[in-house]
Amino acid sequence: MNMLKLWGYAALLAILAIAATSCDTTDNNKPELELIPVNQVTVDGYTISLEAEKEPETGANTLYWKLEQNGNIITPQSISIQPMMDMGDMMHSAPYNQPKTAEEDDRYFKNMAVFIMPSGSMGSWTINFEITTPTDEMISGEIPVEVASSWKLTSVRDDNDKVYFITWYAPQKPVTGQNDLTFLIHTRESMMNFPAVEDLVLDVYPYMDMGGGSGHSTDFTNPVATGDGFYEGDINYSMSGTWTTSVVLVAANDTLPEVVFEYSVQAQ
Amino acid sequence: MRYLTFFILTLFWVEPALAQDLSIQLLDRNNQQPVIQAHIKDDTGTVITVSDVNGFFSINPKKYPHIVVSAVGYASKEVHLHPGLKSIYLKPQVFRDDTELLVVATGEDQNNVHAYHQRANTQNMDQFLDNIDGLSTNKRGAFAWEPVIRGQADQRMNLTIDGMQVFKACVDKMDPITSYVETSNLSKLHIDKSGSGVAENGSGNSTLDLVTQRAEHHPFSLQIQSAYRVPDNYRHLNLTTNISDPSGRNAVRFSGSYKKANDFTAGNDRTINNTQYEKLNLNASYKHTFRSGHSIEGNYITDKAYDVGYPALLMDATKALADIGQVQFNFASSDANFQLDKVQLYANTIRHWMDDYDRDVANRAVMRGMYMPMYGETVTYGTRMNGKAALLGHSFNWFLDGYASHAYGDMEMNSLDPEIEDMFIYNLRDVQTRNVGLGLKHQFRASDKILLKLEENIRYKSLDTGNESFASFFEGLYDRELDTRQKILLSASGSALWMLNDRWSLTGNLVYSERMGNHMELFGHYIYNYTDGFFYDGNPWLKTERTFNTDVNVTWETDRNSFSISLFHKQYFTYIDGILAEDVSSNDFKFKQYANVGDAVIMGGEFRSLNNINHVISLENRISYLYAQNQSLNEPLPLIPPLKGNSLIHLHHGKNMLMGEVEWAAAQNRVAETTSIEDQTEAFAVINLSFERKWMGSSLSSILEVNNLLDHYYHTHTSIGNIPEAGRNLMLSLRYNF
Repeated sequence: MNMLKLWGYAALLAILAIAATSCDTTDNNKPELELIPVNQVTVDGYTISLEAEKEPETGANTLYWKLEQNGNIITPQSISIQPMMDMGDMMHSAPYNQPKTAEEDDRYFKNMAVFIMPSGSMGSWTINFEITTPTDEMISGEIPVEVASSWKLTSVRDDNDKVYFITWYAPQKPVTGQNDLTFLIHTRESMMNFPAVEDLVLDVYPYMDMGGGSGHSTDFTNPVATGDGFYEGDINYSMSGTWTTSVVLVAANDTLPEVVFEYSVQAQ
Repeated sequence: MRYLTFFILTLFWVEPALAQDLSIQLLDRNNQQPVIQAHIKDDTGTVITVSDVNGFFSINPKKYPHIVVSAVGYASKEVHLHPGLKSIYLKPQVFRDDTELLVVATGEDQNNVHAYHQRANTQNMDQFLDNIDGLSTNKRGAFAWEPVIRGQADQRMNLTIDGMQVFKACVDKMDPITSYVETSNLSKLHIDKSGSGVAENGSGNSTLDLVTQRAEHHPFSLQIQSAYRVPDNYRHLNLTTNISDPSGRNAVRFSGSYKKANDFTAGNDRTINNTQYEKLNLNASYKHTFRSGHSIEGNYITDKAYDVGYPALLMDATKALADIGQVQFNFASSDANFQLDKVQLYANTIRHWMDDYDRDVANRAVMRGMYMPMYGETVTYGTRMNGKAALLGHSFNWFLDGYASHAYGDMEMNSLDPEIEDMFIYNLRDVQTRNVGLGLKHQFRASDKILLKLEENIRYKSLDTGNESFASFFEGLYDRELDTRQKILLSASGSALWMLNDRWSLTGNLVYSERMGNHMELFGHYIYNYTDGFFYDGNPWLKTERTFNTDVNVTWETDRNSFSISLFHKQYFTYIDGILAEDVSSNDFKFKQYANVGDAVIMGGEFRSLNNINHVISLENRISYLYAQNQSLNEPLPLIPPLKGNSLIHLHHGKNMLMGEVEWAAAQNRVAETTSIEDQTEAFAVINLSFERKWMGSSLSSILEVNNLLDHYYHTHTSIGNIPEAGRNLMLSLRYNF
């Protein structure tokens, strides 16, 4: 009888173990801000540091500004910036917005800039800044930025030679499975003014060229305008590898030529 | 089965004679369980007595020195009584009604009308299953055919080894678990075509259970068997041994099998490339019987297959490994109101590698210009227990089981073009299946001639993926948030057996079942289906598939002859199948997603006759037919075999046995053209011959077989890719028993 009980208990325990649902191990830890230094200048005893989540590249970049004095981080009253590309015989800016206190870490100010060309023989980028310190001092200067070329920016022109800068805003690192798909679109009114375009219709089509003349698409939702030049949809990569996503802009019933982003999707 | 046997035989209850001189117990040779309600007859066939609930009967050996013992489910046995005789072992035989079909795979010395096993020792498992009426196989080459019961394969049937859940690791179904049990290790097949055994099978699905041979308490035995076949150069070597200690309390059995084959040749001397295989199978079991009557058994199977060609597929299996272990505790009988009969704990892991490095990938139609090595793995743990209980004067059988399984599968795609980045897909990632069920079985005797059986089962089943990224694919595809998918599933059956007289019986079953999609249907991703050429994605939100199955069976049986006709009708509701995903499909890549597509029906029947004309000649005929229709699309379901059958004649003379067989199938013109890419199949008939002779006092047996004698070039309708069957081949087998 003892043997009977032993085996009975063993089997019941096994069944209970199987019946038990898996633990919900939701990770509530907020990931810390991981920044890399981009450049640093010192003006009037203040050290202005520019940091970013990745090396600056063509397309959208989130820039983090930090002000220090005597090694102590201080919070400025305001920061005003303007990216500038010096091409020798001409200069132009880029789409950007002004820095605001970063929600994820209030020691930083944060802004977004869309570099529309890489640094190199054609020219170099600097960001002009004006900072109001906590003591109402005004400091200004410029900080050089090295911008690498990337696949995340392209442009297209309409029949009237109006240019549209199309930025692949998300996913920054495409992975297999569901990804937010966000484009950011600007146009150029002048060399210093690049307003967002909010009234476009986007027709996108992801495609995996698998070689041998064959390939296929994957599940996706066409992005739609959500304001400030953003167009949001989603894309669901079925596999890793090199994907292309074509984008056709329709502006006031005018269908512009197709542009194509080509990029690598990683398995996750 | 034993209990059903009990009830059947109670119809023929005869008060036992009161002679007390000799008390003898009847035992099942395979499991040493008592054989109850067996008929004990004298030389004239008059019933003297029957065995009691413990298998005992009493008899006066002086009055009846020679008896014949017969029991439903067992071979009749003639016994000469002597004073020291305490037990008689009966060999399990075919017990047949439409609810359950028990097929004995081990060889029998004597000829009888139940002849399924006649060629089992020289056949592999695939051929063995393919010869049973109501069963067919989906074929992808020469190896590991996928068993199908009444047109239902894979997720729509239960396929188990000793009741254990074993999930295949290959997402392309290259490794049906039947390949892990050699016929030499098969004790019996338990086939429940109607699925009415819901208390134990849990789902109401048709069930095929491979019951393995265990260690037996008898003196040392050793069997060596070898076979060689041309023209595919097939060679097979098998060694089986069993030994127990003098007390009989400890027994060990070991079996090893090695087989290897080259490409086979179809009719008209056409060599079919990529049909080679190599396989090693080892099986060890141990049994210890306690003084209390309890016993414990351990059983371990390891199976290694290498270089397995699949001409119907894009790839070949480079390696397939299976490790299947179990420990089972058998409890001695007791009179307690709540009794445990058996507790089984098991674990198994299946691993499968395949690739297409030996294929011309540059010129194929699908997945052109790339190599696609794939890997799959399943790990399953489970337990089963069953027993009897009595409550408020009603006794019933209970079955409790549970298992948890983890599945993984991936595929690389390495382009021949170095400029193209390698691609990678998770077909299954961290997919977990959990299942717990409780079943009850009740049997009632409505009258002297009518037995009723009711079974019910309640089951909790859940599936999920533990990987967020993998889950996000399905969330994006269906625009829903994914959590653990779980369902309570109910199934029930009612069966009636009407024994009109001692020859005619009528059986009826009504089965209701609920099925949750399996891990492939819910969480499979980018899985190529060779039957329709589509890539499939799972759907975690599939509704429960429900079925009503009705079947009837009429059997006429005597000691020498039997005829049996079975008819069935199975109605599917919310049938699970793939629907086209147009948005992502292209000319080269067509995708489907699983969905509940509507209703479907499968109906058909089987006919079987077994006739012993005399002690020299016996005949056997089997015919099966299926009609299967997708009612929503109003077209046939795919991979349904046509009208088919086989006829055998056995000629016995002394130590010689000659068997001739005609295996045939009608044309199949009912094909699925919307949901599949199958085509019509022509009729065929082939002739097989076998000659067996025993030598050296029956210690040595030789079997010479010629299959497809006329070298006919043909393929079955369930051969994926229309891969032809083997042409004329000749095999010589030798078996020696020490």
